[in-house]
Amino acid sequence: MTKTAKTPKKVRPKPFLFPEFCKACGRCIEACPKHCIELGTEIDPATGFTPVVVNLDECNTCGLCITACPEPFGLMPEPTEEVDFELLDPEALFGPRLTEAPEPRDIPNTTVELPRLETMVLKGNHAAAVGALLAGCRHFFGYPITPSTEGAELMAKLLPELDGVFLQAVSEVAAVNMMYGCGGAGLRSMTFTSSPGFSLMLEGISYMIGSQIPGVFINVMRGGPGLGNIAPEQSDIKLVCRGLGHGNTHALVLAPSTPQEMLDLTLEAFDLAFRYRNPVVLVADGYLGQMTGRVQLPDTMIRPGLPEWAVWGDRDHRRNLLCSIFLSETDLEQHNLRLNEKYATMRANEQRADLYQCEDADWVIVACNTPARMAKGAVRTLRERGIKAGLFRPISLWPFPIDDLEPLLGRIRGLVMVEAGSGQLEDELRLALSHAQQPFHRIENVRHFGGVLPQQGEIVEKIVGLEGR
Amino acid sequence: MEGAFYNRFERHAHGEGLKGHSTHYCPGCGHGLVHKFMAEAIDELGIQDRTIAVSPVGCSVFLYYYLDVGNTQAAHGRAPAVALGHKMANPDSIVLSYQGDGDLASIGLAEVMQAAQLGLPMTFIFINNAVYGMTGGQMAPTTLMDMRTTTTPTGRTRLTGEPLKVAETIAQLDGPMYVERVALYDSKQRNRAKKAITKAFRLQAENRGLAFVEVLAECPTHLKMTPVEAEKWVEKAMTAVFPLGVKKDIEVEPWFDLGTPNFEPDAMAAAIGATSDSPERFAEAFPSHLDAHDVAIKFAGAGGDGAQTVAALTARAGINEGYDSTYIPSYGPESRGGTSYADVHVAEEEVLSPASPEPHVLVAFNAPSMDKFAPHVRHGGTVIYDSSVIEKVPEVDPSIRMVGVPCTQIALDLGKAMVKNVVALGALQAATGLFPVATFHQAMAQALKNHCALLPLNEEAFHWGQEGAKAVLGEE
Repeated sequence: MTKTAKTPKKVRPKPFLFPEFCKACGRCIEACPKHCIELGTEIDPATGFTPVVVNLDECNTCGLCITACPEPFGLMPEPTEEVDFELLDPEALFGPRLTEAPEPRDIPNTTVELPRLETMVLKGNHAAAVGALLAGCRHFFGYPITPSTEGAELMAKLLPELDGVFLQAVSEVAAVNMMYGCGGAGLRSMTFTSSPGFSLMLEGISYMIGSQIPGVFINVMRGGPGLGNIAPEQSDIKLVCRGLGHGNTHALVLAPSTPQEMLDLTLEAFDLAFRYRNPVVLVADGYLGQMTGRVQLPDTMIRPGLPEWAVWGDRDHRRNLLCSIFLSETDLEQHNLRLNEKYATMRANEQRADLYQCEDADWVIVACNTPARMAKGAVRTLRERGIKAGLFRPISLWPFPIDDLEPLLGRIRGLVMVEAGSGQLEDELRLALSHAQQPFHRIENVRHFGGVLPQQGEIVEKIVGLEGR
Repeated sequence: MEGAFYNRFERHAHGEGLKGHSTHYCPGCGHGLVHKFMAEAIDELGIQDRTIAVSPVGCSVFLYYYLDVGNTQAAHGRAPAVALGHKMANPDSIVLSYQGDGDLASIGLAEVMQAAQLGLPMTFIFINNAVYGMTGGQMAPTTLMDMRTTTTPTGRTRLTGEPLKVAETIAQLDGPMYVERVALYDSKQRNRAKKAITKAFRLQAENRGLAFVEVLAECPTHLKMTPVEAEKWVEKAMTAVFPLGVKKDIEVEPWFDLGTPNFEPDAMAAAIGATSDSPERFAEAFPSHLDAHDVAIKFAGAGGDGAQTVAALTARAGINEGYDSTYIPSYGPESRGGTSYADVHVAEEEVLSPASPEPHVLVAFNAPSMDKFAPHVRHGGTVIYDSSVIEKVPEVDPSIRMVGVPCTQIALDLGKAMVKNVVALGALQAATGLFPVATFHQAMAQALKNHCALLPLNEEAFHWGQEGAKAVLGEE
């Protein structure tokens, strides 16, 4: 059945309705001054609703019924072209979109040469901020919290000089969601925070992981639980490795131990975040954040491009959607399977560790961040005393670098965990051993928390005691 | 069809069957109308490509099923923060933050207040239907008094507070330029709503400022009314509590010119203060008379004594000489006047343990620091202390050299008490020979490069500290 419905120019069209798209709310009935529309009595078998019935004899084309209809494909202006009523496809009926959004495209990053620059003397937090700037980060969102604040302060000073954005958020909750928006637009954004602030960001991090939005978090950990104190503690290893908000979440976790690594790992964190479309967390401790040391700058810096998935606000990216909601169970399962594949790739490719004098060691100390430095000092002292000690320093805490540790396990006498914390790194190690089906169980520890750091002397004593047993 | 809707709602149950062209909203729901008005405004203004819609949690979480624009879905209450992130990333984008009453007026109050007060050109659409929809009809901040919901089964009482008047609250802020409350209950109100929504987008498209439109909307399902009854209820009951009309409409100058982020290497180097100039080296060898590989120094005093400054200077001097050097501060919780300690290491190759619990050298600025740390100085070490303020010297290992220099007095004689720390640094140089004098002078010049006028005074203070130490050591 066909119908010709040509409307002369500048004459307003009459309403037109596909009964299938009517939910029978009746708003149009009230809206029509000529009483052209009434509630139907016949149930539409497709919808179960009783669509309105439109009788246009009295219609004066005022359009009020169209404005009253809440459905995009409900009451609408009558088409001007000849239409086929059998065809239930509005695209055929009303023509293609005004502007068709093209396939999104990727603008790659470029590497820019830096002039040769002298060694700098930088505080750990400042070194991380400089690393972020070199990585092409020009957007910072954060909330002040000791002992991470110097990083934010330096960004507040430098970003305006580089035409970037520093925004102090109303809370850590807001800060992480600003990163969600800015990272979602495809740009490199970051924050500095410390343990209590990081707790507040976890919800947003779960959303970022779910929506596959990159961003870099620098958590300068302090003593907990609760308000704890502002002294250095490795208090969030459990949180960053096992507890990044709700759901099936993981992120690469990097643990620097010098101001130089604060810069190098921050720089690298941005590339990793974008390579995997996932947040990356750097965990430092308060000591490292505050520590000033020598820092060598790299030869190059990054001028970021724009990834094809970005919701940037232009035609090339109009098709894109960032969301973590998948209403259908099978869709959500598929999404999680894809995330799991990504986590598996990270596990395979991103394990990092630094081994110091482990080749012939009887005793291998496992430590990261500042405690790893105390441990390195202890290794030297122990070697001077003829005890074969080594240091295994995980740089990636998630994934735990078990592949580098396994070859040592066959011949060492024991592992000694040195932590400024309650044993959270040891838990990661034990879990990694378990997954690798390694029955190794000779694990000793030197622990302090609350801001007390394990000192070189007591590590030496511990291992001297073990050796003598 | 008019407006910036998708041709087919592919994201709605994969666009299958009727869902490809029907919304998920209940019959008579206000959301669909507002979506239509937004889609038409976006179309009319020609901003479809530039628009980013941030959808909330609640019934309108699926805004991205329908609007053919860039879409980002936000966490509950956080749409304004997400929207700010988008606008900061690309100021040319047209950012819509769309929220319901639970999302905006309950869990997300902090975020909307900050975003509204900032006043960046953005479009805020707030749907007030007096009830939580998606979770099934619980009390919202905007639920009317005595109104029954699943969490106010006998009606809202004073125990849960009065309904929150959001448009009025937002209009009180300095940030927004345009705030209006509109409704959908009859043709006249719908036309007004459409106009207000179009204006809210236009003000952003013209780069003027932040616009906020509160829409009184019907939720027939949870009001347990027919759509037409719900319209009447909004007209009678809701508008009595939430008066319609323009709450704020001011003229402002266009703003927001962030510029394009700078990625020029020279600008980068200048910003971070990096230079190509190599510092000079003056030391002939590592100060192995203090330790074979790694010298530990502790500076200790009260906040304001300047311990941190000279600790940082010492570390910088060590790095200039090509050694590894670290400095770690340790403060009390007070901003001023608390304890202030600093540990410094200078290592020939690599600083291993950066703390100095047993230093080779202690510089003590007050008696508590002296008492606390002097007993831990290593055998054969050196203690430099401000003899102007430390009268009693604790008993220590006789191998330790105690060098009392009246740092405060010398500084006062120079006319500036602040430089007592540099006096102490001069004493440290003379007493330990850690580095040559020139090494310290260079580090001071670097630290004061933006305050060159202060350099002579500091060099003088350094000199008198050296003399003070020499006087003590000469006496021995």
